[in-house]
Amino acid sequence: MKLLSRLLLTSLVLGLCACKPTSPESSTPGKPKIALVMKSLANEFFSNMAEGAKKHQAAHSDEYELLVGGIKNETDLTEQVNLVEQMTAQGAKAIVIAPADSKALIPALKRAQQAGVLVINIDNKLDAEVLKQAELSVPFVGPDNREGAKRVGEVLAKKLPAGAEVAIIEGVTTAFNGQQRRAGFEDAMKAAGMNIVAVQSGQWEMEKASNIASGILSAHPNVKALLCANDNMALGAAAAVQSAGKTGQVLIVGFDNISALKPLLTDGRVTATADQHADQLAVFGIEAALKVIQGGASPEDQTTTVDVIEK
Amino acid sequence: MNLRRWTDFLVLLAVWAGMILLFGLLRDSFFSAATLGSVANRIPALALVATGMTLVMVTGGIDLSVGSVLGLCGAVVGVVMADWQWGLPGALLASLVVGTLVGSINGVVSVKLRLPSFIVTLGMLEIARGLAFLTTDSQTKYIGAPVESLGAPIGGWVISPAFIIALIVVACGQIMLSHMALGRHLLAIGANREAALISGVPVDRPRILAHALLGTLTGLAAVFNCSRLGSADPNAGIGFELSAIAAVVVGGTSLMGGRGSVIKSLLGVLIIATLEAGLVQIGASEPIKRVVTGAVIVAAVLADGWRRK
Repeated sequence: MKLLSRLLLTSLVLGLCACKPTSPESSTPGKPKIALVMKSLANEFFSNMAEGAKKHQAAHSDEYELLVGGIKNETDLTEQVNLVEQMTAQGAKAIVIAPADSKALIPALKRAQQAGVLVINIDNKLDAEVLKQAELSVPFVGPDNREGAKRVGEVLAKKLPAGAEVAIIEGVTTAFNGQQRRAGFEDAMKAAGMNIVAVQSGQWEMEKASNIASGILSAHPNVKALLCANDNMALGAAAAVQSAGKTGQVLIVGFDNISALKPLLTDGRVTATADQHADQLAVFGIEAALKVIQGGASPEDQTTTVDVIEK
Repeated sequence: MNLRRWTDFLVLLAVWAGMILLFGLLRDSFFSAATLGSVANRIPALALVATGMTLVMVTGGIDLSVGSVLGLCGAVVGVVMADWQWGLPGALLASLVVGTLVGSINGVVSVKLRLPSFIVTLGMLEIARGLAFLTTDSQTKYIGAPVESLGAPIGGWVISPAFIIALIVVACGQIMLSHMALGRHLLAIGANREAALISGVPVDRPRILAHALLGTLTGLAAVFNCSRLGSADPNAGIGFELSAIAAVVVGGTSLMGGRGSVIKSLLGVLIIATLEAGLVQIGASEPIKRVVTGAVIVAAVLADGWRRK
């Protein structure tokens, strides 16, 4: 017991030492460090993003060093704030971040910017109001989620009779990209005269979405389509439709174009999804950061492409 | 004693029936085959884990890692089926082995090193989740038809093979707990470990076995979960430990150990699954769902405290 507690204490002390911020100047001079801070490492979308960034760095290894960080699940804000602080402490010249929450990350990013770090926002846009209040200017490089979701919704609407009942399974309600996708789905459904009978949050998760889809299918037996704000939730919804014996009668759309969804797109269980080119998304952010660091260009917003994928 | 056991049972049945009635009144679609089907689909995995959790909790222990272990075992199923093209029997075996191994580690570390099981399994919660991401390379694995047979209703009706297997496991768990030496030892250890030790009950091995069994059942639950979704998601089972613990506590198993019933845990599972399905159907928002589910858990713990007085 004594030995064990001593061991624990030693490792704790060692651990604390390891956490001490290293001074920014300690590493190789010249090559700037760019930090990529992402959301869930468990989501294929973000692992593709990391892969794309690593490939880019390998091709431009003389220009910059890459630090990659992600959190364990998409809603763990504290962890992401810690990451931002650690990246700043490691002497990152720029932080390219996909924020887990559009508002809560802003104070941490402001501290980073005050420490002289260039902040570039990708994927999920920071809240404009809160940015203004914090007197912070952060350029956004990324897709227009609302437009993308709207186009996915339009593909779906063409396959439905006017006035059909549809339901939306949205992501985490506090996330701006989730809100935008929901709004885009709503835009498309309203424009096509569909009747939205339920909107529920599946928290971006497959199982939650499956349970919710089951509930919606029983509560609204006439539902003709489930619009899911990401592909994991579309997979869950497809499972629910199948177990309700309604395959083919209830159409499903998703967002992200993950590889697990391909078989369902091929056999028609899922109608469409959106590809925002995750592998290039981080690269666009990194290139924007490099441009500012190297050439002193002023950082500005940049919209990247979203493609609708059917089959 | 017998009378009281029946009263508990009837009270739980009444709560469940009341809940169904309430949701039925709020939403007439609640009384439908589709609702029955969605609840029946949710039950197998939760019932298995709640059975194992009951065995651990009657000793006064707990396992917080089951949600992550469910994710890890599911990840193993996903990789061996989607990438390596193993069949379902092989995947089942792999999942059971991984689950049992993790459960045994939980048991050996907490029992032999005399550490509280909630700390050990809290560590395991992180380890298993990390391993689940590593195993799948952070990707959702689509498996499809090969895994779906277990969760698909027989003849297109509500009852799936998974459902039947879960009921058999619950029955075996109850017989073991109330009629076999291992079960009696677990209850004795939970009631008073020192007294059990003095009266010659082996105190270490049964506890390790209970953790290992919970791991095995979690491995089986992971296969059921994958079969229900047709895919393996390394994120699967986040918060699942809370649903399982809630079901066991609602079923009247004492958090202090010494008292518990697997059958009543099954009723707890039914109550939790019905509550979740009902809240979705009435269109409750995520925060409301959390508040209500939390309140039900607190009410169950209060009832437990009140009964012990």
